[in-house]
Amino acid sequence: MTRFTGNCDDFGMDTISLAGPLEAKLRAIADGGFTQVMLSAHDLVSHPGGVAAACRAVRASGLRVTGFQVLRDFEALTGRLHEYKMDVASSMLELCAELGSRVLLVCSSTLSHADDDRDRIARDLRKLAMLAVPCGIRIAYEALSWGRTIHELPAAWDVVRRAAAPNLGLGVDSFHCLATEMPLHELDAVDVRKIFLVQLSDFLWRAVPSSAERIETARHFRVFPGEGVHTAEVADLVRHLVALGYRGDFSFEVFNDDYVQLKPSFVAARARRAAEWLGEEVLQRPVPLPSELPRAPASTARPRAPIRRTP
Amino acid sequence: MSTDPELLDPGHPSSLHGIEFIEYSTARPLALGHVLELMGFQPVARHRSREVLLYRQGTMNVVINAHAAQRRDDPADADDVRISAVAFRARDAAAAYRRALDRGAWAVPTRVEVMELNIPAIHGVGASRIYFVDRYREFSIYTVDFVPIPCVDQQPPAIAGLHWFGLVQHVGPGRMLDWIEFYRELFGFAPIPDDQRFGILPEGRILCSPCRTFYLQLVEPSPGTAGLVDRTALPFGSAASPGTAGLVDERLARLGLGTSDVLGAVRALRARGVDFLDSELAGPAERGALTRGLPAGVAFELVRDHRPPPSQS
Repeated sequence: MTRFTGNCDDFGMDTISLAGPLEAKLRAIADGGFTQVMLSAHDLVSHPGGVAAACRAVRASGLRVTGFQVLRDFEALTGRLHEYKMDVASSMLELCAELGSRVLLVCSSTLSHADDDRDRIARDLRKLAMLAVPCGIRIAYEALSWGRTIHELPAAWDVVRRAAAPNLGLGVDSFHCLATEMPLHELDAVDVRKIFLVQLSDFLWRAVPSSAERIETARHFRVFPGEGVHTAEVADLVRHLVALGYRGDFSFEVFNDDYVQLKPSFVAARARRAAEWLGEEVLQRPVPLPSELPRAPASTARPRAPIRRTP
Repeated sequence: MSTDPELLDPGHPSSLHGIEFIEYSTARPLALGHVLELMGFQPVARHRSREVLLYRQGTMNVVINAHAAQRRDDPADADDVRISAVAFRARDAAAAYRRALDRGAWAVPTRVEVMELNIPAIHGVGASRIYFVDRYREFSIYTVDFVPIPCVDQQPPAIAGLHWFGLVQHVGPGRMLDWIEFYRELFGFAPIPDDQRFGILPEGRILCSPCRTFYLQLVEPSPGTAGLVDRTALPFGSAASPGTAGLVDERLARLGLGTSDVLGAVRALRARGVDFLDSELAGPAERGALTRGLPAGVAFELVRDHRPPPSQS
């Protein structure tokens, strides 16, 4: 049974935080009181009933799809590598469209084979954005803190701005902002309407100075907002984004090896505490009266016909 | 981002030079053919290998494709008539196609039979396609893929000088800028100033083709639009239904036909049995008119356009 509390419905869970089959994850997220879910390509392609069955399960859950992840190492490649990555990108967009997701997350490249020229990076992102237009999808480009050329948010904003595609914007991940110790005023230079997604998490030690430490921490030791040692920084980030005018979704991007061997209901309850902390204590939104609660919405995602690609 | 200047050069290989044909997809080709004949089009040829008919009026070619629609399994599609493709004339079709792919277009796999033309295509809005055709000067694509219908005038004249004026496309909420950039980046279309308007429905944004011979009108359907326009012209009726706003079916919605004499064209078409919306807002007026209640759920907009029709070939 989904709980709608009204003051934290813009916070959602990510399937990567949970163990079990897709249906169990969706049930745990809905039972945890969330109204939206961020999905990974793995959720669809590894479903025993196939991609169509996975998409049906998502629609049946009543959860809105926050976004779909993740396209990696896409930009600034040449020759066969570029062609290969275009095929991968096309296939990811088809999955994203079939799911009914309006946002595809793209992480900055880590490949040493990629060009480091920002105009070149912007040109490829613009091409990807055009590819996404007929699918009805927006591209959220995120600076991985161990990215080769783009590893900080200001640099990601620079190439998004250069690309100048309306459906290309930023994905902001608190982990990478914390890892690179980004000052919050860097966000002031960003057009907040171009932030298409915010992902939130914390971790349990202060600093991750090297790329190796960042990768290890990001992939195994994240925790929900309010559970780590950067509680104040995460709260400041959320408050700052809202003060700038951000009104989009916040998704909990919590990769944690412990959480994927615990009961999904237990993990979802921890995520719920994080959402309530952010909604009520950090953003100080009032708890709505029962009469103010919205009725349970039906899923509004209309699956788009998958585009048939050249074989 | 500004339009690539090379696309505005008519001598550039990728430059566009107007509309070669419009394709409708329907499982009921006879019903749609009847509508086209009311509008002054005449059937002139049949496709060699598929259930596809070519209609013509003046410089306009319309293809009715019943082949794809009849192969669909979904019975809900049986009554659906869609503008399923637009073919742009290009100076060099292969160059225009490659350029579009280089900038993020989806290639459409083509299936041609022996001795048929392989016309390059990319995906457009919804399930529609955009073809590139460069064989319209010395000979036409129809002489290869189509067989003329005997004893039929192959060049039927246009009623009141009707010619292609443009296409109306419906876009989803918040998607206007995405589509403007798509058409600018892939083909060189550019938005015209907001105070420049044509016809009777001045909604949305209008993009001018790089060859300046036709227009794309991008419209975010709204309940207000649905009230003005005949419901049968809005096959995406969900856009106006309470509770389903946001589920707009993005598609090519209707054709705009240019003429220097809108009221003369309306008289001639009324005499053939075509009805028009009649209201202070929607005309018919010197500047434009909109058909009403045509069978098969299609609509046409007449637009005042004093430019001479482009040459056939």
